[in-house]
Order: sequence, then structure tokens, then C-alpha cells
Amino acid sequence: MIQLFRVSKEYGRFRHALDDVTCTIERGEFVFLTGPSGAGKSTFLKLLFREQPPTSGQILVNGRNIGVLPASQVPYFRRTVGVVFQDFKLITRKSVFENIAFVQNVLGLPRAEQKRRAYQVLKRVGLHHQMNAYPDELSGGEQQRVAIARAIVNEPTLLLADEPTGNLDPVLSEEIMRLFLEINIRGTTVLVATHDFEMIRRMGKRVLSLDRGRLRDEPLRREIAPSAIREAPFLPMG
Amino acid sequence: MPLKARYVVGEAWSIARTGARQTALAVGLIALSLYVPGLFALVSKNLGKLSAGPDAPAAVITLESSADRLAVARRLAEDHRILEIRIVPSEAALSRFRRAYPDLGAALARLQEAPFPPSIEIRTRSSAASGSGRAIAAASRSIPGVESAESEEETGRRFTDALRIVRGAGLVLGGVLVLAAILSVASAIRLALDLHREEIEIMRLMGATETAVRAPFWLNATAEGLLGGAIALGLLYGTYRLGLTLLARSPHPVLSVFWTSFLDWRGIALVPIFGAGAGLLGSVMSLGRR
Repeated sequence: MIQLFRVSKEYGRFRHALDDVTCTIERGEFVFLTGPSGAGKSTFLKLLFREQPPTSGQILVNGRNIGVLPASQVPYFRRTVGVVFQDFKLITRKSVFENIAFVQNVLGLPRAEQKRRAYQVLKRVGLHHQMNAYPDELSGGEQQRVAIARAIVNEPTLLLADEPTGNLDPVLSEEIMRLFLEINIRGTTVLVATHDFEMIRRMGKRVLSLDRGRLRDEPLRREIAPSAIREAPFLPMG
Repeated sequence: MPLKARYVVGEAWSIARTGARQTALAVGLIALSLYVPGLFALVSKNLGKLSAGPDAPAAVITLESSADRLAVARRLAEDHRILEIRIVPSEAALSRFRRAYPDLGAALARLQEAPFPPSIEIRTRSSAASGSGRAIAAASRSIPGVESAESEEETGRRFTDALRIVRGAGLVLGGVLVLAAILSVASAIRLALDLHREEIEIMRLMGATETAVRAPFWLNATAEGLLGGAIALGLLYGTYRLGLTLLARSPHPVLSVFWTSFLDWRGIALVPIFGAGAGLLGSVMSLGRR
């Protein structure tokens, strides 16, 4: 599914954000990416999302080497990947529906179909009653759930989340993680960058740990008994 | 996959609304920059009707009403510099005037007698020396039945030169102003880009192609140009009508004669087309490196 082979990313001559990283993430996996601030977590995700190209090495996503993807193909690749950002990145002048249906709108999907899909994903994140609200009218947790809905509306095979709970309190963070688990159960590969070790410990998923741009061995992978969260049926949160 | 028109139009409208001041400024500048050259074109068009043109006579000889026109023409034909002699009776002169100035023709119809005396128009050969028209006019004054004779050569040349200067000035000034309009649209689009920078970045992250990001800005600027052009056209027509009203109230011997018609349909179409083109060019310039 995702393969990184000797991937490095340098900003300028002396700043190595990622250094010789090699790893594999299987289809349908739920993986945490962790490490201290400045370890290279965001860069790792940016490379996977082709927000930036690697300085060297190969990145294969679904068998495509995205490191050499022509610029004209990048938007089409991005539509196959869902991304959730720490700062949500919602367009404030657009409603919740318009934010979610943006790509479908660009592509000319019938409005009724856009609404149907938006409603479905909003229902999954428990915000179907806020379809016409604007981001500024929502709480932080709700905005993050809208961002998740937007990320999954195109049914991506890969979902990336960069510190998705960084701005949220523990209760909301738990809710967001439940959503990611739910999405993962449906078959989407999920990669969450976080430095919330407590959360990682409770979730008991595979962990990729970065330190100063280098991938450590995976000592943090713990086979903790599946938590109640993992097994719980998804309940929309209003 | 082609972009959805509703998306492009919706985004373009949204851009115009969120930067209403910049939009108004760009539209105003385009209107102004098209109004000025448009005014030159209007003046030049009306002045052009007074211009002699290539078939203009080198001299016009006005005859007494009792004169033997053929005899005068025969005398003139002896001059080897003359290519053509055309006798213009009073009625022909009047109908020619009515054709040239239909607005004034009605007023002339009320006159009891023919307002134009019979005349003879002289055209010289191309081999004739410069100033031949004046020499022929001077010589013809001694022919019996000739009331007066004037050479149109010098006047026509000066008039044509003046007209050329007016058109040239209009083109230069228009060019400068259109360039200014293009730059101002480019600035307005740059400001709009700054206003929307964050959401453009989000759009790109969500998988919007560069065309999807840029097309609304192109449309917005083109519409601004079109609107600016339409406003310029409206202002030009307003100026034209105002001129007519003022001249009807207090007629002027020269202005009343030449200020008679508005731009033709080609000129009317060109003003908004130029505006739209300026807007599009400005936005392409502005978005080119972003």
C-alpha cells in the first residue's frame, strides 16, 4: 500500500527533515506516527500527500511512485487521499456542505448527489444537522469532524491526519479517534501523526516513531488488548 | 474532466463580493481608460465626415447663378494639369449635404431657395505640381461667370493632418490608459489572491487543479473588464447625447455641423470587448507566476 524506500527530505543544505527513511504500511492498517516536535512527522505526511517531493528516495502509494508524479497529476492523486489537518483548514466563507462537496462541485457532480454524499459522511461524524452551518459557528471538535467528513467524502483508500487532536480537549480527542477507528474498520488505511503517547498507548496500534528525521525501530508497537473503543459500534456524536 | 460552469461562476461572484472595493476600483479604472480613447474615436469619427478624403477636389469654383456652366468648364479644360471637371448644380449640392448630414437636412428643407450655389469641382492629375489647385483657382477667378474660386488643397491637407493627430493622440493615450487598466486589474486580482490565499491553498490540498483555482479569477477579471467597457460605452453615449442637447439649445457654427453621429456598431462592440480583453490579460498576468 505505502512503501518508503530510503526517503530523505532536506530543507536547504543543512536541515534534514527526514533522513533515509524506509518503511511499509499495509493496506487497511491503522498506524500512528509519533515523535517529538521537529522529528519530521509533518514532513512525512506532506511527502505522502505530495505536498512536497522527497529530496531522494522512492515513495510508492498504491503502486505509484508519487515522488516523480508530474505536477499536473498531483491534484488527481490528492483526490484519492483524505487529509485531516490540526488547524482543520476549512474555508470559512463556505458552509459545511460546500466545504465537504468542494471537489465534487469542481468536478460537476449533480448537486443532489453532492448533497447525498455530504449528508452521508456528516451523518457518520454526527453533524448531519449542521449541513448549512458555517465553520465559525461550530466548536473546535465539530470543525474537526467536518474536516474528517471532507477527508472521507471521496472514499479515499488512505487517510492521513496531522495532529488531529492537537487543538482538542481529551474528550473530543477520544471522539475523533473513535471516528478514525470507524473509518479504518471500513477498510481505509489510516495514518495519524501525534505526540499524544497516552492516546497511542490506549489505542494499541502500530507505531512509527521518528526522531530527528530518522525512523526508529518500532518498540512502541504494543499488542494491548483491543480497547472498548476499538470494538464499540460507531455512535454518532451530536 | 471539464470544470463545472456553475462552480466557476459561483466562485467568480464570491471573489467579486469579498473584494468589493477592489472590484469597483478595477471596473472604474477600466471604464475611465476606455472612455477617454472612446471619446477621441467619437470626435475623430465625426470630424472625419468633414475630411476631404482621397477624391477631394483640388479647387472648388463657385459660379454665379446666371453663368454658362459649360463655357466655364470648357475654359478650365484647356489647363493640362486638370484631370477632371465636375459640375455640381445647386440641387446636387443640397442632396449631397443631406446625405452627409441627415440630422441637418431637415432644417435645410424649410428654406425657400437653394442654399448652395452651382459650382465646379476640379481634380488635378497626379503628375501636377503641388500647389496646382491654388494656381488653377487663382486663374479661374478671371473667367466670366465665376463668383469665387478657392483651393481646397491646403485646407484639406491641414484638416487631414489635424485629424491624423487627433486619431494618433487618441491611440497613444488610449494605449497608455488601457495598459494602466490592465495593470490595475492585475493589481486587483493580486489583492483578491491575497484575500483568498489561504483558501486557494486549501483548494489545492483538496485536489483542485490549477485551472479550477484560476478559472474563477479569470472570469471575475473578464467580467470586470466587460462591465467597465459597458460603463465606458454608457458614458460615451451620455456625452454624445449631452453634446447634442447643448448644441440644440445653443447651436454652434462648427460643432453643430460635425457633432452628429455616435460610434458605429463595430465601435460599440469594440469598447466592451477591449474591456473584457484588458481584464482577462490583467488576470493572466497576475496569476501567471502564482
